[in-house]
Amino acid sequence: MENADDLADRESDGLWSRVMTNPTPAARWAAVATVLLLLEFGAFAGGLLTILDAIVMGATALLDVVVGIFAPGLAQSIVDVQLAASTFIEGVRHAAESLPTLLSRDVIPNQGYQTQSGTWNGTFLGLSPAAAWALRLSLVLLYSLFAFYWLYKGWQLFRTHYRKADWTPRDDMVARLQNHSWGKFGIIVLVLFLTMSLFGSTMAPSTVDQNITSSYSHEIQYFSEESGQVETVTVGQANFNSKSKGAGDQNVGVMSYDQYDRFHPFGTLTNGRDLFTYMMGGAQITLMVAGIAIGLASLIAALLALVASYYTGVVDLSILTLADGVVSIPQLLLLILVSVVFQNHWLSSVLNGGLLLALIFGLTTWPFLWRSLRGPALQVAEEEWVDAAKSFGQRPTTTMRKHMLPYVLGYLLIYASMSVGGIIIGMASLSFLGNGLGITPPTPAWGRVISLGQPYVSTQSWHISLIPGVMIVILVTGANALGDGIRDAIDPESEGDSEEEAAAAGGGA
Amino acid sequence: MNRFIYLLKRLLLGIPVLLFGLTVTFLVLYLGPIDPVLAILGRDANPAAARQLEIALGIRYSDGSMVPLWIQYKNFLVDMVTFNFGTSWGVARNQPVMDLIIGRLPATLWLGFWSVVIALGFGVPIGLYAGLNSNTWGDYFASFGGIVWRAMPNFWLAVMLAGVLSAGGILSGYRDFLIKTDVIGTPDELQYLFSGIDVFPGIPILEYLWIPIPNLMPMAAAFKWILPAALVLGSASMGNEVRIGRTAVLESLNSEYIDTAKAKGVSTRRIITKHVGRNAVIPLLPVIMGEFYLLIGGSVLVESVFSINGLGNLFLRAAFAADIPVLMSLTFIFIVIQILFNTTQDILYTYIDPRITLADNNE
Repeated sequence: MENADDLADRESDGLWSRVMTNPTPAARWAAVATVLLLLEFGAFAGGLLTILDAIVMGATALLDVVVGIFAPGLAQSIVDVQLAASTFIEGVRHAAESLPTLLSRDVIPNQGYQTQSGTWNGTFLGLSPAAAWALRLSLVLLYSLFAFYWLYKGWQLFRTHYRKADWTPRDDMVARLQNHSWGKFGIIVLVLFLTMSLFGSTMAPSTVDQNITSSYSHEIQYFSEESGQVETVTVGQANFNSKSKGAGDQNVGVMSYDQYDRFHPFGTLTNGRDLFTYMMGGAQITLMVAGIAIGLASLIAALLALVASYYTGVVDLSILTLADGVVSIPQLLLLILVSVVFQNHWLSSVLNGGLLLALIFGLTTWPFLWRSLRGPALQVAEEEWVDAAKSFGQRPTTTMRKHMLPYVLGYLLIYASMSVGGIIIGMASLSFLGNGLGITPPTPAWGRVISLGQPYVSTQSWHISLIPGVMIVILVTGANALGDGIRDAIDPESEGDSEEEAAAAGGGA
Repeated sequence: MNRFIYLLKRLLLGIPVLLFGLTVTFLVLYLGPIDPVLAILGRDANPAAARQLEIALGIRYSDGSMVPLWIQYKNFLVDMVTFNFGTSWGVARNQPVMDLIIGRLPATLWLGFWSVVIALGFGVPIGLYAGLNSNTWGDYFASFGGIVWRAMPNFWLAVMLAGVLSAGGILSGYRDFLIKTDVIGTPDELQYLFSGIDVFPGIPILEYLWIPIPNLMPMAAAFKWILPAALVLGSASMGNEVRIGRTAVLESLNSEYIDTAKAKGVSTRRIITKHVGRNAVIPLLPVIMGEFYLLIGGSVLVESVFSINGLGNLFLRAAFAADIPVLMSLTFIFIVIQILFNTTQDILYTYIDPRITLADNNE
């Protein structure tokens, strides 16, 4: 009895009480973290709520489709509930996004006009738009890199001051990853792209709303050479006169100004929109869809790998057949089929078509992950401790969760970060094909720009197709590098690539 | 277990896979919102004609009642398995799907063949080189190149390559190099690749037999034409082959049998060809076979950018035209080929690596 009490005592000795006995480091860390969070609270809340919205939509959509087969009336009421929930979240999100943030466009504005004397009006401290934009961009990047570092610092603090165990195997993995420059490159690339998707509207010279989706309801001021005074024009009209179409003087290239004194770091598109702004908007939808898809695929793959390796035999064989069946239809073809079929369904309007893409990618990517996980899962299932847990009478779910999952999780991380590249490329391919596939216009999608710039590759407007492609290559390479890094951290014995990785990384587009 | 029985078992396991693939395709196309009558007749269809069509399509009985879905499903399965593909609805109205597919096949086969050959011809040697010279600048260059090459989206690479090869591009001279060819579109020379010599003219059935004689000039022209597209289509596989080939060589170089061979005084050349090479092929095999999977998806994009009239392009146009018979037939063919490839791969394994037994190869 005494023993059990003692155990209960130790259990209740949670993280909180450990922090309370030595509060100084935690308080110091939390103070900085709070400042960091408050500075950009609006952006974080907005991002979180968008994801929440997508999850609500996704869950109810699946329910709706399943129920709809049996009872269309019931399905309608699910749609109603979903609509209400989504509208509510949308409202909160708008409120959150309108909260003032420190590094916002209003604090360091980069839109203004140059008077005849050469001074700038309306920009931050009278700097040129290029300098103001560069300043804001670097501040955002610094902020996000520091915030990321601070998160890592928090984990280190936890490890030295508050964790019960002095050492866990995970510490060695982190240490190995720290010495892995290729893996660190992957982490930095991922942090950069996450920053783009969270703070894209602050990093870009203009916002997606102002420059792309509703350009005719925004106005800018510029100094007209002809009339010699400051004039007002709608953004849409200004875009119309700043097209990049290859021939003649119709080109606003990389790092240049258009005739309205707007600065375009990546040049303009064929319709005069700002490519940099477009890319930031595209980063948001790309990472969101890829994130949801890989999350769903990982969940299914891990679950099935555990079940298959725990029960083996017929269960394993039937999952194998199921996986083979899913893989037997080429992924891109299935994506095209489903996208075409659901073109006018309401599901294709959620997240501008992104949710549907994420669902299909998730439901078709898991077999690749599962195949790669099956080996490690079978291996751990044969370990003595699993056998011991079984004979001890532990429930199968507990055994899988406590004794098998931690081992499989590392491999899942490796293969998930390697497959995410295929999803990103697949998404871009669909948007490239257009005609209702991929993300719905006018929401920015990387693939669509490449298709826009296709006729101008060998002209002076080469930037339109080249830059988005290079961004995709960097992101995909970064994700693969991260996978390599995690692999070497988890399993330093392994010598490079295996066929499982090729299977996981194979995009097919 | 005997190899023949093993082959039979593998093929039997393919049946549920095929059934699953077909069922998913059926569900997507038939339960989805595509209305066949709308797709064929357009919006202002005459009701009587629409009724006629529904009966002809097997959606409605002649007495006006709807055909239950499961009977449609059964008919669909029987049609597929007996290669009764029906006629096209939209891409080429009323033309038999079989003819359409056979007409588009040469372009895709030609493109696919060269993409595999080019990827193998460059990827494997580069990978082996990188493995044999590990941690030199050559290795770093090859490995990094492989990684980036694999990360490039096919369609983007295709756009870039087509752009620089077209008029005004940096590499536009390519088109006049040696033989004058284009790079966009389907090469006409595809029809003249082979000339046939009839073996048994006039004899029924046997008259279809002929010996193909390659025509070198059209072949060279068609090769040059398709080369950029094939290079793009093989890019992902090539990157994989470089990486995996490198690892495989490294792994077998570190094995004890290599040390033994060295101790016995076997020449380096023989060690590499006989021991390293053979063992490096084992992990490469699934990558090479997996290329087929990449080819189908990739061919849709590459054929669309280079305007090649192949199966991928046909699939895309059929999808946009809601041409269900064409979509169904193509998907069916792709699934069958996929299963055959997987089975071939497993059988090949047993030849290359005798350690892999036939019994436990359900993995």
